[in-house]
Amino acid sequence: MIIFHGDQVELARVMKEEVKKDLKNCLEEAQQYFRTVSGPKLTLVIDGKCLMYALDPSLRVMLLNLSLNCTSVVCCRVSPLQKAQVTSLVKKGARKITLSIGDGANDVSMIQAAHVGVGISGLEGMQAVMASDFAIAQFRFLSDLLLVHGRWSYLRICKVVTYFFYKNLTFTLTQFWFTFQTGFSGQRFYDDWFQSLYNVMFTSLPVIIYGLLEKDVSASLSKKYPQLYMEGIRNSFFRWRVVAAWAFSAIYQSLIFYHFVTTSSLTGQNSSGRTFGLWDVSTVAFTCVVVTVNLRLLMMCNSITRWHYVSVGGSILAWFVFVFVYSLIRENILYVIYVVMSTFYFYLAFLLVPTVALLLDFIRQGVQRWFFPYDYQIVQEIHRHEPDDNTRAGALEISNHLTADEARSFAISQLPRETSRHTGFAFDSPGYESFFASQQGVYAPQKAWDVVRRASMRSKLKAPPLPPKK
Amino acid sequence: MSSSTAPSSSVAAGSADPSGARRNSKRPKYSRFTQQELPACKPILTPRWVISAFMLVSIVFIPIGVASLFASRDVVEIIDRYDTECIPVDARNDKVKYIQTPGNKTCTRNITVTKQMKRPIYVYYQLDNFYQNHRRYVKSRSDSQLRSNSSANAVSDCKPEDYSNGQVIVPCGLIAWSLFNDTYSFSRSGQQLAVNKRGISWKSDREHKFGKDVFPRNFQNGTLIGGARLNESIPLSEQEDLIVWMRTAALPTFRKLYGKIEEDLQVNDVIQVTLGNNYNTYSFSGKKKLVLSTTSWLGGKNDFLGIAYLTVGGLCFFLAMVFTIVYLVKPRQLGDPSYLSWNRNPGWQ
Repeated sequence: MIIFHGDQVELARVMKEEVKKDLKNCLEEAQQYFRTVSGPKLTLVIDGKCLMYALDPSLRVMLLNLSLNCTSVVCCRVSPLQKAQVTSLVKKGARKITLSIGDGANDVSMIQAAHVGVGISGLEGMQAVMASDFAIAQFRFLSDLLLVHGRWSYLRICKVVTYFFYKNLTFTLTQFWFTFQTGFSGQRFYDDWFQSLYNVMFTSLPVIIYGLLEKDVSASLSKKYPQLYMEGIRNSFFRWRVVAAWAFSAIYQSLIFYHFVTTSSLTGQNSSGRTFGLWDVSTVAFTCVVVTVNLRLLMMCNSITRWHYVSVGGSILAWFVFVFVYSLIRENILYVIYVVMSTFYFYLAFLLVPTVALLLDFIRQGVQRWFFPYDYQIVQEIHRHEPDDNTRAGALEISNHLTADEARSFAISQLPRETSRHTGFAFDSPGYESFFASQQGVYAPQKAWDVVRRASMRSKLKAPPLPPKK
Repeated sequence: MSSSTAPSSSVAAGSADPSGARRNSKRPKYSRFTQQELPACKPILTPRWVISAFMLVSIVFIPIGVASLFASRDVVEIIDRYDTECIPVDARNDKVKYIQTPGNKTCTRNITVTKQMKRPIYVYYQLDNFYQNHRRYVKSRSDSQLRSNSSANAVSDCKPEDYSNGQVIVPCGLIAWSLFNDTYSFSRSGQQLAVNKRGISWKSDREHKFGKDVFPRNFQNGTLIGGARLNESIPLSEQEDLIVWMRTAALPTFRKLYGKIEEDLQVNDVIQVTLGNNYNTYSFSGKKKLVLSTTSWLGGKNDFLGIAYLTVGGLCFFLAMVFTIVYLVKPRQLGDPSYLSWNRNPGWQ
């Protein structure tokens, strides 16, 4: 037993050496375990006092290596600052995405240090919630947040972004091919209001509905197959390959739109032998673009609600209503749509062009689903015959089948909660004596205020337990 | 917040909220839309659907393609390029000079009919390498001026063909100024074939775009003559050549309707065309062609739609066969858990 009086610097140095030795031993032991193929799962347990020395810049790397080799790490009795330091260590050293969850004011720095901070609102107050990116009501909602909503959000964001680029690329490239045949003079292929309203009126609502409501598998299946989360970690839906496929599809479709429509407009267009002008041809092409782009969205939906039908149908209808009204008003394309729709050619082109444009995507989807299926697609197929169990009525059915464990935890959660007079912060100060240090036979001198505080607590503990008074 | 945490939320919902006394629930109001529980259709693109879709497309498209191709094959079209031939041999060194010198420039061509053509037979002129879709050209017109006499002075976009000798030009702009002015007249074995020049423009143009009270004024009065002159006593709504010309074409190779011949033409008829070769396409190496064509319900002779439909129908049929063969040779059972990535590579993280 070694007791030091007074010399804090020397004490710190000795402590650091001890911790370093310990860490080294543990690291070697862990690596030895790792060399055996089916080694046991390792856990690192470290407390605040030790962490104070282990987070020293010279030892930090070793601590990180050791932690990354273990399945889990438990840090107890840590101060808020150390929580933040450990989080930053993993964030910067291991280059992983970190999530931290906490409910008290002592967790605020940790929540802010991590990539994703989750705060639990409740008895400890709202400080954690105010500092966090996501707030949940109970700790068990974390699994829903990650596995259900996090996963859906990733899928939705990827698809919405790639679809947006695709639809604008298709539309713009059609104009681009036209420039080759105008002597590069910059003449627009479409009327200006068509272009302005394309993104506002004719193609915006379906993609919004998609981003709100798209689900690849239902919530209960997402939790039943947590490995589906790996698709987000692997970034399967936003690789360069995926983006390139969308871009190629856009180029192909724009070529179809432009060439199919203009090539077939050289001669007279109906039995009266009259010919089309520039605005007639571009109105036909624009109609095909709007219809194709909206149908493409329906093709990529995994779950189609009535709002999808309403928005897609509504957008196409909005285009027709707009052009019927617009061609009565606007001078240069006066009556164009009526002229165009009086020919058989328009209806044949309207059937042919979107079909050919979507053919490539259809083939690609069929082949991809068959030969290279994603995990969520297999899960969809496994559970394809089950009805939607996500309604409240269905949930009531499930509640009758609780396991004993679930019933017990449910009963506990129904008990009246006690408000604790001791907040978490009180136990986190590093002035509190380290259990592990005392195991090694190293004691720190007690501080005066610490002695007084613990004396007052001890007297409370020794009194018989009274019923809690609010 | 989450509806799928079943036990506590459902009991609370089911039993007339007794826990209201215990805990004030802050759960937001339930709605199917906000909880994302809307009833949905979850289509799965099974091989059966893929093959059925391809078969449906081929069944619908192949007959349409055949019908379109037959319609196009029924159309008889004769094209005659005359721009080089119609210049006298001794002037062919400097074609531009020839076309710009005033004088009589008639030329006679003979066209032999290869197949019987039923009336009405449509006469077109086709121009190649003429960019009616050039930006400055398309801009150079004034639709409000064309429509009504009261806006005769709205000539802002028409430069340089807006004013001439201080007076406003009606119709203004480069499009009207460059009006095509070759003329054609047809005769068969000495007998004149009448060319009907009414109804060659779209009805909506005649009625709504070109006004009945607008008369040409001060037209082609400048130093540079671009094309045809207009009769100042006929209102614009009846000047069908102008109306047809002003519907600017989409591509640099285009056809415009000149008139209709209301007689049948038999096989081996020789048609004499007396044409006035006035229009200058020689400065930019453009080509001029005279086209005689019948029409079908689909329009003129354009095999493209028919061929496209047949190709797509055939391709879909071929793909349906290929997919069926692959389905039989290398089937994948629907919902086979061995395809899950964590079952395929068990030790993989």
